[in-house]
Amino acid sequence: MRPDATELGEARRRVEALVADLPAGRPGEHAFNEPWEIRAFAMAVAAYHNGQYEWSEFQLSLIESIRQWERSGRDPEDEPWSYYEHWLTALETVLAGSGLLSESMLDERTKSVLATPRNANHQHAHREPVAVDPPVH
Amino acid sequence: MSTHVRSQEEIAARVKALESILIEKGIMTTAAVDRLVEIYENEVGPQLGAKVVARAWTDPAFKQRLLADATKACADFGIGGLQGEDMVVVENTADIHNVIVCTLCSCYPWPVLGLPPNWYKEPAYRSRIVKEPRKVLREDFGYELSDSVEVRVWDSSSEMRYWVLPVRPAGTDALSEAELAGLVTRDSMIGVGPAASPVS
Repeated sequence: MRPDATELGEARRRVEALVADLPAGRPGEHAFNEPWEIRAFAMAVAAYHNGQYEWSEFQLSLIESIRQWERSGRDPEDEPWSYYEHWLTALETVLAGSGLLSESMLDERTKSVLATPRNANHQHAHREPVAVDPPVH
Repeated sequence: MSTHVRSQEEIAARVKALESILIEKGIMTTAAVDRLVEIYENEVGPQLGAKVVARAWTDPAFKQRLLADATKACADFGIGGLQGEDMVVVENTADIHNVIVCTLCSCYPWPVLGLPPNWYKEPAYRSRIVKEPRKVLREDFGYELSDSVEVRVWDSSSEMRYWVLPVRPAGTDALSEAELAGLVTRDSMIGVGPAASPVS
Protein backbone atom coordinates (compact mmCIF):
# COMPACT_ATOMS: atom_id res chain seq x y z
CA MET A 1 0.00 0.00 0.00
CA ARG A 2 2.93 2.33 0.49
CA PRO A 3 4.75 3.97 -2.43
CA ASP A 4 8.21 2.67 -3.19
CA ALA A 5 10.77 5.05 -1.67
CA THR A 6 13.38 4.59 -4.40
CA GLU A 7 10.90 5.27 -7.15
CA LEU A 8 9.67 8.41 -5.37
CA GLY A 9 13.26 9.56 -4.87
CA GLU A 10 13.92 9.21 -8.62
CA ALA A 11 10.75 11.12 -9.50
CA ARG A 12 11.68 13.82 -7.05
CA ARG A 13 15.15 14.25 -8.53
CA ARG A 14 13.62 14.74 -11.97
CA VAL A 15 11.22 17.40 -10.71
CA GLU A 16 13.94 19.13 -8.76
CA ALA A 17 16.21 19.33 -11.77
CA LEU A 18 13.32 21.19 -13.41
CA VAL A 19 12.72 23.68 -10.62
CA ALA A 20 16.39 24.28 -9.80
CA ASP A 21 16.58 27.30 -12.10
CA LEU A 22 13.45 29.01 -10.87
CA PRO A 23 13.65 32.05 -8.65
CA ALA A 24 13.47 30.81 -5.09
CA GLY A 25 12.01 33.98 -3.66
CA ARG A 26 13.47 33.75 -0.21
CA PRO A 27 15.33 30.99 1.60
CA GLY A 28 13.08 28.03 2.25
CA GLU A 29 10.35 29.36 -0.04
CA HIS A 30 9.98 26.04 -1.83
CA ALA A 31 8.53 24.46 1.30
CA PHE A 32 4.78 23.96 1.24
CA ASN A 33 2.47 25.34 3.90
CA GLU A 34 -0.91 24.53 2.42
CA PRO A 35 -2.20 21.61 0.36
CA TRP A 36 -3.25 23.93 -2.50
CA GLU A 37 0.39 24.96 -2.88
CA ILE A 38 1.46 21.42 -3.71
CA ARG A 39 -1.49 21.05 -6.05
CA ALA A 40 -0.58 24.24 -7.92
CA PHE A 41 3.04 23.16 -7.99
CA ALA A 42 2.17 19.75 -9.42
CA MET A 43 -0.19 21.21 -12.04
CA ALA A 44 2.49 23.46 -13.47
CA VAL A 45 4.80 20.48 -13.85
CA ALA A 46 2.05 18.27 -15.29
CA ALA A 47 0.95 20.87 -17.85
CA TYR A 48 4.57 21.31 -18.89
CA HIS A 49 4.99 17.53 -19.29
CA ASN A 50 1.88 17.67 -21.45
CA GLY A 51 3.67 20.11 -23.76
CA GLN A 52 1.51 23.14 -23.01
CA TYR A 53 4.44 25.53 -22.71
CA GLU A 54 8.19 25.73 -22.55
CA TRP A 55 9.54 25.61 -19.03
CA SER A 56 11.43 28.86 -19.71
CA GLU A 57 8.06 30.58 -20.39
CA PHE A 58 6.80 29.52 -17.01
CA GLN A 59 10.04 30.61 -15.42
CA LEU A 60 9.83 34.10 -16.97
CA SER A 61 6.20 34.41 -15.97
CA LEU A 62 7.04 33.54 -12.36
CA ILE A 63 9.91 36.03 -12.30
CA GLU A 64 7.59 38.69 -13.71
CA SER A 65 4.88 38.09 -11.12
CA ILE A 66 7.37 38.33 -8.27
CA ARG A 67 8.95 41.44 -9.78
CA GLN A 68 5.58 43.16 -10.07
CA TRP A 69 4.81 42.43 -6.46
CA GLU A 70 8.18 43.79 -5.36
CA ARG A 71 7.74 46.93 -7.44
CA SER A 72 4.27 47.57 -6.12
CA GLY A 73 5.80 48.32 -2.73
CA ARG A 74 2.84 46.79 -0.94
CA ASP A 75 2.97 46.55 2.77
CA PRO A 76 3.73 42.93 3.73
CA GLU A 77 1.52 43.50 6.78
CA ASP A 78 -1.49 43.98 4.49
CA GLU A 79 -0.54 41.39 1.96
CA PRO A 80 1.73 38.66 3.26
CA TRP A 81 4.23 37.26 0.82
CA SER A 82 3.16 33.98 -0.75
CA TYR A 83 5.54 32.32 -3.18
CA TYR A 84 2.87 29.96 -4.45
CA GLU A 85 0.41 32.75 -5.19
CA HIS A 86 2.98 33.98 -7.67
CA TRP A 87 3.36 30.43 -8.87
CA LEU A 88 -0.40 30.26 -9.49
CA THR A 89 -0.40 33.64 -11.24
CA ALA A 90 2.47 32.48 -13.46
CA LEU A 91 0.62 29.28 -14.33
CA GLU A 92 -2.57 31.18 -15.17
CA THR A 93 -0.58 33.58 -17.32
CA VAL A 94 1.18 30.94 -19.43
CA LEU A 95 -2.04 28.96 -19.90
CA ALA A 96 -3.90 32.12 -20.95
CA GLY A 97 -1.01 32.86 -23.32
CA SER A 98 -1.59 29.58 -25.14
CA GLY A 99 -5.33 30.34 -25.33
CA LEU A 100 -6.34 27.55 -22.97
CA LEU A 101 -7.76 29.66 -20.22
CA SER A 102 -9.37 33.01 -19.66
CA GLU A 103 -9.57 34.83 -16.37
CA SER A 104 -13.38 35.03 -16.58
CA MET A 105 -13.64 31.28 -17.16
CA LEU A 106 -11.53 30.61 -14.09
CA ASP A 107 -13.39 33.19 -11.98
CA GLU A 108 -16.70 31.55 -12.86
CA ARG A 109 -15.46 28.07 -12.02
CA THR A 110 -13.95 29.29 -8.75
CA LYS A 111 -17.31 30.74 -7.74
CA SER A 112 -19.02 27.44 -8.32
CA VAL A 113 -16.33 25.59 -6.32
CA LEU A 114 -16.84 27.99 -3.41
CA ALA A 115 -20.61 27.54 -3.63
CA THR A 116 -20.41 23.75 -3.46
CA PRO A 117 -20.17 22.30 0.02
CA ARG A 118 -17.08 20.17 0.27
CA ASN A 119 -17.89 16.51 -0.01
CA ALA A 120 -21.49 17.44 -0.66
CA ASN A 121 -22.55 13.86 -0.14
CA HIS A 122 -20.69 13.40 3.11
CA GLN A 123 -21.69 16.11 5.53
CA HIS A 124 -23.50 14.21 8.19
CA ALA A 125 -21.55 14.09 11.46
CA HIS A 126 -20.89 10.61 12.84
CA ARG A 127 -20.75 10.95 16.60
CA GLU A 128 -20.16 7.33 17.55
CA PRO A 129 -17.45 4.94 16.37
CA VAL A 130 -18.38 3.39 13.03
CA ALA A 131 -16.95 0.09 14.29
CA VAL A 132 -15.84 -1.30 17.63
CA ASP A 133 -13.65 -4.37 17.90
CA PRO A 134 -13.86 -5.45 21.54
CA PRO A 135 -10.96 -7.02 23.42
CA VAL A 136 -10.31 -10.65 22.47
CA HIS A 137 -10.72 -12.97 25.47
CA MET B 1 -5.23 40.33 -11.26
CA SER B 2 -7.43 42.04 -8.74
CA THR B 3 -5.96 43.89 -5.80
CA HIS B 4 -8.28 42.08 -3.41
CA VAL B 5 -6.31 40.00 -0.94
CA ARG B 6 -7.56 36.47 -1.31
CA SER B 7 -8.14 34.16 1.60
CA GLN B 8 -6.52 30.74 1.67
CA GLU B 9 -9.96 29.28 1.06
CA GLU B 10 -10.47 31.40 -2.07
CA ILE B 11 -7.07 30.49 -3.42
CA ALA B 12 -7.60 26.81 -2.70
CA ALA B 13 -10.92 27.01 -4.59
CA ARG B 14 -9.20 28.72 -7.51
CA VAL B 15 -6.57 26.00 -7.69
CA LYS B 16 -9.29 23.37 -7.61
CA ALA B 17 -11.22 25.20 -10.35
CA LEU B 18 -8.10 25.42 -12.49
CA GLU B 19 -7.45 21.72 -12.07
CA SER B 20 -11.00 20.82 -13.10
CA ILE B 21 -10.76 22.99 -16.23
CA LEU B 22 -7.41 21.49 -17.25
CA ILE B 23 -8.74 17.98 -16.72
CA GLU B 24 -11.81 18.72 -18.86
CA LYS B 25 -9.54 20.01 -21.60
CA GLY B 26 -7.54 16.81 -21.47
CA ILE B 27 -4.34 18.60 -20.50
CA MET B 28 -3.80 16.49 -17.42
CA THR B 29 -5.35 13.75 -15.37
CA THR B 30 -5.98 13.75 -11.65
CA ALA B 31 -3.70 10.72 -11.48
CA ALA B 32 -0.82 12.66 -13.05
CA VAL B 33 -1.21 15.48 -10.52
CA ASP B 34 -1.60 13.00 -7.65
CA ARG B 35 1.58 11.29 -8.73
CA LEU B 36 3.55 14.54 -8.49
CA VAL B 37 1.88 15.50 -5.22
CA GLU B 38 2.87 12.15 -3.74
CA ILE B 39 6.51 13.13 -4.01
CA TYR B 40 5.94 15.99 -1.61
CA GLU B 41 3.02 14.91 0.51
CA ASN B 42 5.07 14.41 3.65
CA GLU B 43 6.14 18.03 3.59
CA VAL B 44 2.77 19.55 4.42
CA GLY B 45 1.97 18.66 7.96
CA PRO B 46 1.85 16.68 10.13
CA GLN B 47 4.25 18.87 12.10
CA LEU B 48 1.32 20.97 13.29
CA GLY B 49 -0.53 18.02 14.75
CA ALA B 50 2.71 16.78 16.31
CA LYS B 51 3.11 20.07 18.19
CA VAL B 52 -0.43 19.84 19.50
CA VAL B 53 0.12 16.25 20.68
CA ALA B 54 3.39 17.15 22.43
CA ARG B 55 1.62 19.98 24.26
CA ALA B 56 -1.16 17.62 25.33
CA TRP B 57 1.43 15.17 26.66
CA THR B 58 3.12 17.82 28.79
CA ASP B 59 0.22 20.04 29.82
CA PRO B 60 -2.76 18.20 31.41
CA ALA B 61 -4.98 21.29 31.34
CA PHE B 62 -4.35 21.70 27.61
CA LYS B 63 -5.08 18.03 27.06
CA GLN B 64 -8.47 18.44 28.76
CA ARG B 65 -9.27 21.39 26.53
CA LEU B 66 -8.12 19.49 23.44
CA LEU B 67 -10.36 16.53 24.22
CA ALA B 68 -13.28 18.80 25.09
CA ASP B 69 -13.04 20.98 21.97
CA ALA B 70 -10.20 20.26 19.57
CA THR B 71 -11.20 22.99 17.12
CA LYS B 72 -10.91 25.63 19.82
CA ALA B 73 -7.74 24.18 21.38
CA CYS B 74 -6.04 24.02 17.96
CA ALA B 75 -6.92 27.65 17.32
CA ASP B 76 -4.35 28.45 20.05
CA PHE B 77 -1.74 27.17 17.60
CA GLY B 78 -3.18 29.16 14.72
CA ILE B 79 -4.50 25.92 13.22
CA GLY B 80 -7.88 25.72 11.56
CA GLY B 81 -9.92 28.39 9.86
CA LEU B 82 -11.86 26.06 7.61
CA GLN B 83 -15.57 26.19 6.89
CA GLY B 84 -16.62 25.71 10.46
CA GLU B 85 -16.13 21.99 10.56
CA ASP B 86 -15.43 20.42 13.90
CA MET B 87 -12.34 18.50 14.80
CA VAL B 88 -12.59 15.83 17.45
CA VAL B 89 -9.56 14.28 19.10
CA VAL B 90 -9.94 10.74 20.44
CA GLU B 91 -7.46 9.61 23.05
CA ASN B 92 -5.61 6.30 22.98
CA THR B 93 -5.11 4.62 26.34
CA ALA B 94 -3.80 1.30 27.60
CA ASP B 95 -7.29 -0.18 27.02
CA ILE B 96 -8.66 1.66 24.01
CA HIS B 97 -7.09 2.19 20.61
CA ASN B 98 -8.65 4.58 18.11
CA VAL B 99 -8.22 4.68 14.37
CA ILE B 100 -9.72 7.07 11.82
CA VAL B 101 -11.14 6.55 8.36
CA CYS B 102 -13.46 8.27 5.95
CA THR B 103 -15.70 5.52 4.67
CA LEU B 104 -17.20 7.53 1.79
CA CYS B 105 -14.44 9.69 0.45
CA SER B 106 -11.30 11.00 2.08
CA CYS B 107 -12.35 13.52 4.74
CA TYR B 108 -9.21 14.14 6.73
CA PRO B 109 -8.14 16.73 9.33
CA TRP B 110 -5.59 18.28 6.97
CA PRO B 111 -4.98 21.48 8.93
CA VAL B 112 -3.26 19.32 11.55
CA LEU B 113 -2.12 16.29 9.57
CA GLY B 114 -1.33 17.77 6.17
CA LEU B 115 -2.33 15.88 3.04
CA PRO B 116 -3.78 12.41 3.41
CA PRO B 117 -1.48 9.62 2.23
CA ASN B 118 -2.72 7.82 -0.86
CA TRP B 119 -3.57 4.61 0.99
CA TYR B 120 -5.99 6.58 3.20
CA LYS B 121 -8.00 7.44 0.08
CA GLU B 122 -8.03 3.93 -1.34
CA PRO B 123 -11.18 1.80 -1.14
CA ALA B 124 -9.16 -1.08 0.32
CA TYR B 125 -8.32 0.81 3.50
CA ARG B 126 -11.70 2.54 3.74
CA SER B 127 -13.70 -0.65 3.70
CA ARG B 128 -11.38 -3.10 5.45
CA ILE B 129 -10.46 -0.97 8.46
CA VAL B 130 -14.14 -0.96 9.45
CA LYS B 131 -14.65 -4.70 9.01
CA GLU B 132 -11.44 -6.02 10.48
CA PRO B 133 -9.45 -3.20 12.09
CA ARG B 134 -7.17 -5.42 14.16
CA LYS B 135 -6.19 -7.47 11.13
CA VAL B 136 -5.59 -4.42 8.89
CA LEU B 137 -3.39 -2.82 11.55
CA ARG B 138 -1.38 -6.00 11.83
CA GLU B 139 -1.14 -6.98 8.16
CA ASP B 140 -0.93 -3.62 6.41
CA PHE B 141 0.86 -1.55 9.00
CA GLY B 142 2.77 -4.13 11.06
CA TYR B 143 1.10 -2.80 14.18
CA GLU B 144 0.20 -5.56 16.61
CA LEU B 145 -2.26 -4.56 19.34
CA SER B 146 -2.67 -6.52 22.52
CA ASP B 147 -5.80 -8.68 22.58
CA SER B 148 -6.95 -6.84 25.69
CA VAL B 149 -7.31 -3.56 23.79
CA GLU B 150 -10.64 -2.43 22.37
CA VAL B 151 -10.36 -0.92 18.88
CA ARG B 152 -12.67 1.93 17.92
CA VAL B 153 -12.93 3.11 14.33
CA TRP B 154 -14.14 6.66 13.76
CA ASP B 155 -15.68 7.81 10.48
CA SER B 156 -14.74 11.35 9.53
CA SER B 157 -17.11 13.45 7.46
CA SER B 158 -16.81 17.00 6.26
CA GLU B 159 -18.78 18.11 9.33
CA MET B 160 -16.72 16.27 11.90
CA ARG B 161 -13.14 15.20 11.47
CA TYR B 162 -11.44 12.90 13.89
CA TRP B 163 -7.81 12.44 14.73
CA VAL B 164 -5.98 10.44 17.34
CA LEU B 165 -4.03 11.48 20.42
CA PRO B 166 -1.46 8.67 20.63
CA VAL B 167 -0.10 7.23 23.87
CA ARG B 168 3.04 8.97 25.07
CA PRO B 169 5.94 6.54 24.60
CA ALA B 170 7.68 5.17 27.67
CA GLY B 171 11.05 6.58 28.67
CA THR B 172 10.29 10.13 27.55
CA ASP B 173 10.03 11.89 30.94
CA ALA B 174 13.20 13.90 30.38
CA LEU B 175 12.33 15.09 26.88
CA SER B 176 11.35 18.65 26.00
CA GLU B 177 8.10 19.46 24.26
CA ALA B 178 9.95 19.99 20.98
CA GLU B 179 11.74 16.65 21.32
CA LEU B 180 8.44 14.95 22.05
CA ALA B 181 6.90 16.49 18.93
CA GLY B 182 9.63 14.76 16.94
CA LEU B 183 8.28 11.39 18.06
CA VAL B 184 4.74 12.03 16.84
CA THR B 185 4.26 10.49 13.42
CA ARG B 186 1.45 11.04 10.97
CA ASP B 187 0.51 7.38 11.24
CA SER B 188 0.21 7.63 15.03
CA MET B 189 -2.35 10.43 14.64
CA ILE B 190 -4.35 8.39 12.13
CA GLY B 191 -4.14 5.48 14.54
CA VAL B 192 -2.34 3.01 12.28
CA GLY B 193 0.87 3.06 14.32
CA PRO B 194 2.30 4.08 17.68
CA ALA B 195 4.30 7.25 18.34
CA ALA B 196 8.00 6.60 17.81
CA SER B 197 10.18 5.60 20.73
CA PRO B 198 13.11 7.81 21.68
CA VAL B 199 16.50 6.67 20.42
CA SER B 200 18.47 5.86 23.54
